[in-house]
Amino acid sequence: MWKNVYEWLDERLGLNDLYKNLLDRPEPKGNWWNTLGSAALFLFILQGVTGIFLTVYYTPSPDHAYDSINYIMNGVAFGWLIRGIHHWGATLMVVVVFIHMLRVFVTASFKYPRELTWLIGIGLFLVTLGMGFTGYLLPWNQQSYWATTVGTQIAGSVPFIGDFILKVLRGGSDLSALTLQRFFSAHIWMLPAALAGLIGVHLYLIIKHGESNFPSKED
Amino acid sequence: MDNETKQKINKRYERELNRGERFWPDSIFKDLIVSLGIFVLLIMLATFIGVDAQPRVDPSDTTYIPRPEWYFLFLFKFLAIYGQIPVLGKIEWLATVAVPGLVILVLALMPFIDRNPNRYYGKRVLPISVMAIIVVDIVMLTIMADVPTVTENGSMLPGILQAIAGMVIPLVAIILLFLMTFVFRKTSTKTMIWTAAISAILTIGLTGGVLAWFPVPATTETAVATTLVDQISAGQDLYSVNCVECHGDDGKVTKIEGVKGLEGKLIPAINSTDVLYTLDDATLAEVIAYGRPEAGMTPFGKAYGGQLSTSDIENIVTFMRYTWDDRFEAPKLKPLYPPLAAGEVPSYDVHIAPIVKRYCLSCHQAGKQNNNYLMDTYDDILKTGDQAPNVTAGDENSTLLKVIEGTPIPDPKDPTQTLIRAMPPNGHMSPDIINVFKLWIMNGMPQTAEDAAKLSVTPTPGAGSTGTPATTPTP
Amino acid sequence: MSDEGHTGRNEISRRDFIKVTTGIVGGVIGLAVGVPAIAYLLDPAFKSGAKEAWIPIGKFADMQIGQPYAFSFTRVQVNGWERTSTSHGGFVIRKSDNPTDTVIFNSRCTHLGCTVNWKADAQAFICPCHDGKFGINGKVLGGPPPRPLDQFTDFRVTQDGVLEIYYKES
Repeated sequence: MWKNVYEWLDERLGLNDLYKNLLDRPEPKGNWWNTLGSAALFLFILQGVTGIFLTVYYTPSPDHAYDSINYIMNGVAFGWLIRGIHHWGATLMVVVVFIHMLRVFVTASFKYPRELTWLIGIGLFLVTLGMGFTGYLLPWNQQSYWATTVGTQIAGSVPFIGDFILKVLRGGSDLSALTLQRFFSAHIWMLPAALAGLIGVHLYLIIKHGESNFPSKED
Repeated sequence: MDNETKQKINKRYERELNRGERFWPDSIFKDLIVSLGIFVLLIMLATFIGVDAQPRVDPSDTTYIPRPEWYFLFLFKFLAIYGQIPVLGKIEWLATVAVPGLVILVLALMPFIDRNPNRYYGKRVLPISVMAIIVVDIVMLTIMADVPTVTENGSMLPGILQAIAGMVIPLVAIILLFLMTFVFRKTSTKTMIWTAAISAILTIGLTGGVLAWFPVPATTETAVATTLVDQISAGQDLYSVNCVECHGDDGKVTKIEGVKGLEGKLIPAINSTDVLYTLDDATLAEVIAYGRPEAGMTPFGKAYGGQLSTSDIENIVTFMRYTWDDRFEAPKLKPLYPPLAAGEVPSYDVHIAPIVKRYCLSCHQAGKQNNNYLMDTYDDILKTGDQAPNVTAGDENSTLLKVIEGTPIPDPKDPTQTLIRAMPPNGHMSPDIINVFKLWIMNGMPQTAEDAAKLSVTPTPGAGSTGTPATTPTP
Repeated sequence: MSDEGHTGRNEISRRDFIKVTTGIVGGVIGLAVGVPAIAYLLDPAFKSGAKEAWIPIGKFADMQIGQPYAFSFTRVQVNGWERTSTSHGGFVIRKSDNPTDTVIFNSRCTHLGCTVNWKADAQAFICPCHDGKFGINGKVLGGPPPRPLDQFTDFRVTQDGVLEIYYKES
């Protein structure tokens, strides 16, 4: 019975091919440092899942953002856990992505034939920081308000076009409901979409070229 | 890179694969173990540390010190140090945009800049050393992020030391490493590693020194009321301190009495439906913040020169709603102070302070008419006042105790005149509260809960009890 | 390209062990997120918003016998981070001088919850939405309503002569 179902599905989905190409790949002898990439992926998924759950109650408006977060923390069953994981997951994700980058740098895994994987990885790192920056404003409390005021001001110090960038980031010259709304949009749609796309290419390239081996004296 | 090298690399990789493992299940297993570790760590962090409750946004609060997310702190510090540099420090975009932008660009283009086909660490001393120096610097800048660059007496020393640790040493070391590689050429690997190591040690040591010599200023963490019950209590305390003098503890005062400058002034009762039904929360908050200067009510909000933050005002409004507005039902509130067990001695911290805050502080704070008797701290309660001391340990006739019991203190020079009125002036203390004060005074006025616990007598078990005390040895 | 075969059976059982462990670890993580997440999502359904209070609705003496006396009151409910004030209304109908001989109807139509009005010339409560019609005794006289008007059955007259109803949110 199960065998028939499997064969039917395999005929249509190509499960055996998938297994062979994605999972049953040969790899150089593994090292625990090699797990950082998948740890970052795991955190991304976890952030995605907890983030989606947070939007069930979170309201991105200056009137209600603070109270809705307060409600998540104190009024909803396990709200503190979901937000706690999302909050600390962000921190951990930045750390893990950074260490992952350091590992790749130190083992020179960015060299031929993995130059593009590295370039995309840098993009992933920057988008991750962007996620941290935009997510920081969403609770709309003193800390986040003032940090974003300063953060956007820094972006606004670019010569000539600084004022323009500042207005684009803030959605006007002041930190307002528009800022919160666009940071929210960036945080839950634009940046995650970019992140997901880049991760897709990153993973494809890893499968294509295989994981790099740890260098020895011959390398 | 020529084809020969590429082939060599590919062949070598093929060999590694042949003595390697399988992605599934070998690698995935390791990945999953690490993910599980991370997951457990996250659950622990979320459970035991949690997320700090921060106060509500208050654009009017100019005293707030902005602080970015911790992983941007090093940039924050870098900017602060950079800003101290004369002349150059004024060209801000160099530090905010040019330097970080350049670093990211170099990092992104690494595969095209570092064209050396070798991957072994020993053959890549320059990039690894430079990266190590930068990483150490980032970590150190993050660690000293909270140390100010200028001391309170205006000394630039901390800023200079931080600049040396966080900018000069790493920069010099990196330049030296580049010189060794591209100018002197013959420098040994060992020398380069030592250069990097020494610079890292110097940076770390100096950071340690900066932290030791210039302590991080203590930040006052104000408790944030997050649950409705806490918000109402916080609001009531704030109301007691800021509003009771004119509006009375139940908000029903229509004619102000006993307030200098406003004596006899007619005001609407703020607990009336007229006020509560017609003014929404935002309006009430704005009235508190801006006051009614023409009618004699001074501004209370920080935005208009008062003392209260947006969160504070919000809490007062919440208190008013849930206490006086009959459309709202108040949740069960916590008692003002934990009830005393038999033989328990109350302490200042746990029992007296909340009572004083609710009933006395409104007038007995600096700047009010109060015979100079201030009650905001333990020491002030014991020592201040024109007739100090108002309270003496073990003295049943302490002034404080007498007046809250409702007995005015007569003027010793003219016994027909009252020197100190019964307190509080517009009401009576409940017998429970008077009892708490009495117990506190008669048992030596302990300040902390620990002190009080030492003085407390635990009722002796045994008499009539059927259980065997744990200490009783069995025959 | 394969490393298999050099340790024979041991290798196979090691692989099986890894596969099983992987499955278990994955399952544990899934459960640890999944279970709280479900509780988190379903939470509002388990909250009981039931609040109760005595609501004063007017001087009893002002209410005329045999004449519906309309009243309304507002209750504020906190739903999450937002306060929602809901207005409720009804009619008091005194049948005699005896205070207990009084009926208090909820003005919410039993059909779809619109608010009914008293039409004196028709001597009936008419619902503006679907022309439901109730008599002064609350019975359905016509239209779609399935049952008579609901009543506030708990009420009292205070010492000051104010009629109060016992209101319980469901």
